[in-house]
Amino acid sequence: MKIGVFICHCGENISRTVDCPRVAHFAEGLPGVEYSIDYKYMCSDPGQKLIKDAIREHKLDAIVVGSCSPNMHERTFRNAAVSAGINPFLVEIANLREHCSWVHDDVEAATEKAIELVRMAIEKVKRDKPLTKIRVPVTKRVLVIGGGIAGIQAALDIANAGYEVVLVEREPSIGGHMSQLSETFPTLDCSQCILTPRMVEVYQHPKIKLLTYSEVVKVEGFIGNFKATIKKKARHINEDLCSGCGLCITKCPTKKKSYNSFEENLAFRPAVYVPFPQAVPNIPVIDETVCMYYKNGKCGMCVKVCDRGAIDFEQKDTMLVADIGAIIVATGYKLYNIEKATPESKYKGYGEYGYGKYRDVIDGLQFERIASASGPTAGEIKRPSDGKEPKKIVFIQCVGSRDPSKGISYCSKICCMYTAKQAMLYKHKVHDGEAYVFYMDIRAGGKMYDEFVRRAIEEDHVKYIRGRVSKIHEENGKYIVKGEDTIAGMPVEIDADMVVLATAMIPQDNAPKLAQTIGIPYDKHGFYNEAHPKLRPVESTTAGVFLAGACQSPKDIPESVAMASATASKAIILFASDTLEREPVVAKVNEDLCAGCFYCKKVCPFGAIEVRDIKDVNGIIYKEVAYINQGVCQGCGTCTATCLSKSIELAGFNNEEIFAEIAAL
Amino acid sequence: MDELRNYARELLEKEEVAAVIGYQQVTEKRTKPIVITDPAETSRLVFNEYCLNNLAVYLTKARIRSLMRTKDKTMKLAIVAKPCDVHSIVALIQENQIHRNDVHIISFNCHGVVKDFGCDFNGDNLAAKCIKCETHKPLYFDKIFGEEKQTPKAGDASLEKINELEKLNSKERFEFFKSEFDKCIKCYACRAVCPLCYCQRCITDKAIPRWIESSSHQRGNFSWNIVRAFHLSGRCTGCGECDRACPMDIPLSLINRRMAMEVKDLFSFVSGRSLETPTLVGNFDKKDSDEIFM
Repeated sequence: MKIGVFICHCGENISRTVDCPRVAHFAEGLPGVEYSIDYKYMCSDPGQKLIKDAIREHKLDAIVVGSCSPNMHERTFRNAAVSAGINPFLVEIANLREHCSWVHDDVEAATEKAIELVRMAIEKVKRDKPLTKIRVPVTKRVLVIGGGIAGIQAALDIANAGYEVVLVEREPSIGGHMSQLSETFPTLDCSQCILTPRMVEVYQHPKIKLLTYSEVVKVEGFIGNFKATIKKKARHINEDLCSGCGLCITKCPTKKKSYNSFEENLAFRPAVYVPFPQAVPNIPVIDETVCMYYKNGKCGMCVKVCDRGAIDFEQKDTMLVADIGAIIVATGYKLYNIEKATPESKYKGYGEYGYGKYRDVIDGLQFERIASASGPTAGEIKRPSDGKEPKKIVFIQCVGSRDPSKGISYCSKICCMYTAKQAMLYKHKVHDGEAYVFYMDIRAGGKMYDEFVRRAIEEDHVKYIRGRVSKIHEENGKYIVKGEDTIAGMPVEIDADMVVLATAMIPQDNAPKLAQTIGIPYDKHGFYNEAHPKLRPVESTTAGVFLAGACQSPKDIPESVAMASATASKAIILFASDTLEREPVVAKVNEDLCAGCFYCKKVCPFGAIEVRDIKDVNGIIYKEVAYINQGVCQGCGTCTATCLSKSIELAGFNNEEIFAEIAAL
Repeated sequence: MDELRNYARELLEKEEVAAVIGYQQVTEKRTKPIVITDPAETSRLVFNEYCLNNLAVYLTKARIRSLMRTKDKTMKLAIVAKPCDVHSIVALIQENQIHRNDVHIISFNCHGVVKDFGCDFNGDNLAAKCIKCETHKPLYFDKIFGEEKQTPKAGDASLEKINELEKLNSKERFEFFKSEFDKCIKCYACRAVCPLCYCQRCITDKAIPRWIESSSHQRGNFSWNIVRAFHLSGRCTGCGECDRACPMDIPLSLINRRMAMEVKDLFSFVSGRSLETPTLVGNFDKKDSDEIFM
């Protein structure tokens, strides 16, 4: 075997602390090494050419590159090797930068260590086996979980590219939080007006299968080959027969039985309802917990008025199974609105602000509904308690956000902008009103964002006070807001008619459960983790599962949409070929030696290990052994370490290779 | 005794089981294992204080497993098992070596066995595992025989030895085990009798790469005995067969017992006691102590 060794200076990154020519010279004398050289930038074009030429000229079988971390340039050097005719898995990287030069300053010792690292890589490459990429088939259908703006955008992009989409929404209608908003910053265009055409497009798209009032309950399989089980909750309305006339809703006698969650509990709805007039699909849902029929078997008013016979009290939840190639998770957020700390909650509430106690202390989404033309007040700014127009209104930013003592350390990102917008909307509607904003900092990064905030301050005369509010209490129908103006350095007291809390964005309650169902990691708050914070922001660490919108971290609408389109393009890239190429660094079980204890199956974090029956000539099972699904295996090696009899080997990192590396030390 | 024989004969005659693994008398104070497939042979079955072997080890042996497979179906194996041997069977079921439905457990109310063949059954000659035994009635069985009888009282010498070693410093302890392991002749009798050493190919037999040196010098001896201890940690049910089988009298169960004590302290887990509790190895519990991680 002829091995080539290439030592990179990485500019001065490596050569500053490692004597690169000496390392290259030393390697030259090692058994098996045919050619050895050092160069300033091995990853540059001339550097790669040097490698390729050396491979051809010296007829090398394998190469070792002493350079930066394999995370950076392993692929570069593998590609160079491939173009010169070497199998990419006969390329070993000795990490002389992160593992050596960057962490040491003694040149002599660092050079010695670099030599050892190169020596180890040489011993490994001698035993490396050529590997070929694994090909797995792809189901060209995407599951989009969540029908907010992110899910809608992703579904439309994918469907417009010609691929099938299954869009699953938990609520009776798609639209998400965006459908609740009044107007959007920084352009002040009507949220519903820009959203509803997209919702209708989803509904009418031949490539999109829309499943509202449904939940994903199980996901099996792996990239390109998922199998998703979706529970379609009983609507008690036959979707094929309902024409959406809404007669059942107007005739239902339970008018004020339950709070309308779409209106953020500022209005009521009957037992049979659509969340909002523009709902898609425009098919009502019967709420079993309120409906008189389910209480005492009587009423049935809706049945009487429905001339289509679409009411079906006997309807049951149904389960659907779909073959899926990629999954886009776009489950969004909810608002932190806990008035008091509960023992089971990880958040400590803002009891001092009286949310939940004073009806006119509301959160941002409630204000959106009040300001919305389709909302409970038809767009007129009125207090929830007595319906009077508030003449003095206080907005408080960072309620929960950036407050580790209350359980949330992060910035919710959108509150500075929407508070400015809400204050502006208020001033536009109540000309003689006064609006105050308590803020910690104003974070208005974004196109036209800072200009927007300035407009609120300068043109609409919203009074910004830098400081925190310590307490709110009621006095003669007014809410006394006690705070501090930290710029003036003095306490402030405002007798407000209404208070709006810009509460933090937190993940949906069932975010961790869904993450466990799909098999994706999440952070301590419950936001889903991206594969790389900079370079892979819309991919989860699970291959084939992508993240869009606020389920990953607080996001505004343009960011959610951008992310959604990014995930769509990721899915479309996946579907560009009929089979998937996967790295062959996967584990393999020696079936003759496997004792079938399945400890490997218990520890596999990816569920890649299955039970395979070995049968005798009569077809009777005589042994059960572990079998590793190469499409799912991520090559982490946990199984190989767990196997007591060492009957599992990880390709590219087998025990023989690792032993040789250690023995070379 | 007749009850056991009749029961076993019926199982075989009705073809409910493929074979009965049990004990036969050799001399007055010695028994040996027997695998019976012919109903007529069941008259040789015995159960008494001299039934020392843990027969669970046979459940995973290929030649015995082949008896289970007939032309068209899989048949059960019946096994005569002391309550402590049932622990081993439970561990085997949990590690997928045999399905609960494939094994017919014939057990006894047990009041202990002798420490070695030829001894009289009394407190002085009680097997070490019987001294600390808490399971006189089997936890799982398909048929049970025998009356409950009092186990003779005896001092727990192995616990005393553990406590004594515990008092030594690590260097002294190392010296003790060095002198013990020096005796090892790598006969692997401990492996052969252990019901949980069921791997088709043990890690010691793996040559590329060689994890454990096969020669009987100190380094290889140490590797073998330490790997054995680690591989059985959280899995060993404490049947003590390794101790009995070792021709060089290395106190192997001392190590196993000490590891089991550690496991019990850290994870409140004892191997082979429940089919419902997940195995210790391979199962992550959020309540597990963080101190075990370095």
